[in-house]
Amino acid sequence: MVLYSLGMIDILRQFRFEATLRYYAEFFGSVAPMVFGRSLLMGFATTAACLLLGYPMSYYIAVKSGPRKETLMLLVIIPFWVSFLLRTYALMTILDVNGIINVTLLSLGLISEPLNLMYNMQAVLLGMVYNYLPFMILPLYASMEKLDQSLLEAAGSLGAGPARSFLHVTLPLTVSGIGAGSILVFVPAVGEFIIPQLLGGTESFMIGNLIWTLFLKARNLWFGSAVSIILIALVVLMVGLYMKYITKGEEMAI
Amino acid sequence: MKRRIGDRILKGYSIVLYLFLYAPILIMVVFSFNDSRLLAVWRGFSLRWYDTLLADPTVWKAFYNSIWVAGLTTVISMVFGTMVAFALIRYSFRGKSILDSSLYFPIVIPEITEALSLLLFYVFTGIPLGAMTVAIGHIAFSISYATIVIRSRLVGFDRSVEEAAKSLGANEFRTFFHVTLPLILPGVIAGGLLAFTVSYDDFVKTAFTAGPGFQTLPLRIYAMASRGGVSPLLNALATITLAVSMCLALVRLRLSKT
Repeated sequence: MVLYSLGMIDILRQFRFEATLRYYAEFFGSVAPMVFGRSLLMGFATTAACLLLGYPMSYYIAVKSGPRKETLMLLVIIPFWVSFLLRTYALMTILDVNGIINVTLLSLGLISEPLNLMYNMQAVLLGMVYNYLPFMILPLYASMEKLDQSLLEAAGSLGAGPARSFLHVTLPLTVSGIGAGSILVFVPAVGEFIIPQLLGGTESFMIGNLIWTLFLKARNLWFGSAVSIILIALVVLMVGLYMKYITKGEEMAI
Repeated sequence: MKRRIGDRILKGYSIVLYLFLYAPILIMVVFSFNDSRLLAVWRGFSLRWYDTLLADPTVWKAFYNSIWVAGLTTVISMVFGTMVAFALIRYSFRGKSILDSSLYFPIVIPEITEALSLLLFYVFTGIPLGAMTVAIGHIAFSISYATIVIRSRLVGFDRSVEEAAKSLGANEFRTFFHVTLPLILPGVIAGGLLAFTVSYDDFVKTAFTAGPGFQTLPLRIYAMASRGGVSPLLNALATITLAVSMCLALVRLRLSKT
């Protein structure tokens, strides 16, 4: 494994040395920066949506007790067992022109023509949230389970309202879960390939699609490598910044 | 009273979210048994799409490819995973912490960069793309998944039984195969099953390293989904693929509870 991971870095480097910085210059003159911006935006949107949707659900599961809690958690984990490709395809069967939503709405007479639900940004975002939600719930749940309920009671008895005790007790104490969940969602979401490829159109072309096109269609290994090196650097930078911020938040909470 | 209403809202909300997670998969599975060419109009139960699939040699070929790549990945990941896990738990050596943290590489970096690094490696070394390059790629990344699972099993291992075996005259070899291995076997199998699942479900790495002519089930599904869009036939193929991963996951769950 070590040899392997080192090997991969060496090879990427060698390509870069041969190619000089020309391809990095090319990067800024192409559509790539826009695609990067869109992917980052998509990553943020997915993370935020998963967090907002997942937080109440994690809380709901965490305050349950005994076997019911385990069952509810298992129900979150089971979709993990189905691959991304299959889950994305499953979503296609619903959103398709002949899919269940359109057929139902048509037969109810609510619409006269099938809606175009696929091949746009919203569909990609829905696909992302659908696929990544369990990644957010797991760490959130783990951090909430450790939360001592008596702290909330203490806050309540000291006169804090629900909103106040949430902001000053629950939220700071689950910051580690929020951080872990956000990274688990953000990193793969930015580099996602299958979801935008199957559910998206030209307006939702992301880095993953760009790399795919460059490597497998255009066979431009050098420019492709430059793009992926920038992707890795960007992701590492983002995660680094985030970790720093989160650990600071944790220190403040303690 | 106020609290109860809050609880109800939370409960209703969670049920909706659970439905969101399951509905698409359930609908896909249900409509794979639909006796109609139409996607979402129920015309009665039928296995006709499954019959069509079973008569398609390209599907069989893809299934066969998936199974042997995943099988090979499993065996090699189990052997190497056990070795790496032992090395990490029992010995200290230079670079141990690097090895330890590099185990999490495949889990944290975006999969597309893994796929790329593999492709670049093959292009650079001039290895022609095909079945072998796919298998090597799967093995390289699955070993770390297997290692993580096996290691967690080794952490709680009671070494006094090994010492007992040795003091009764068993050599290192015998001790390992008759005492240590049987005890950690559930962990090794769980690690192997995870490696199998990761390989069997993999799309991105396979797509980058397969080259023309070699197809696994996920590649076949993707090719059909991106070309002709959704169809009951594809629902059936997806359902079969899903059933295999579900069974594997259930066995894994069982193993983790023993």
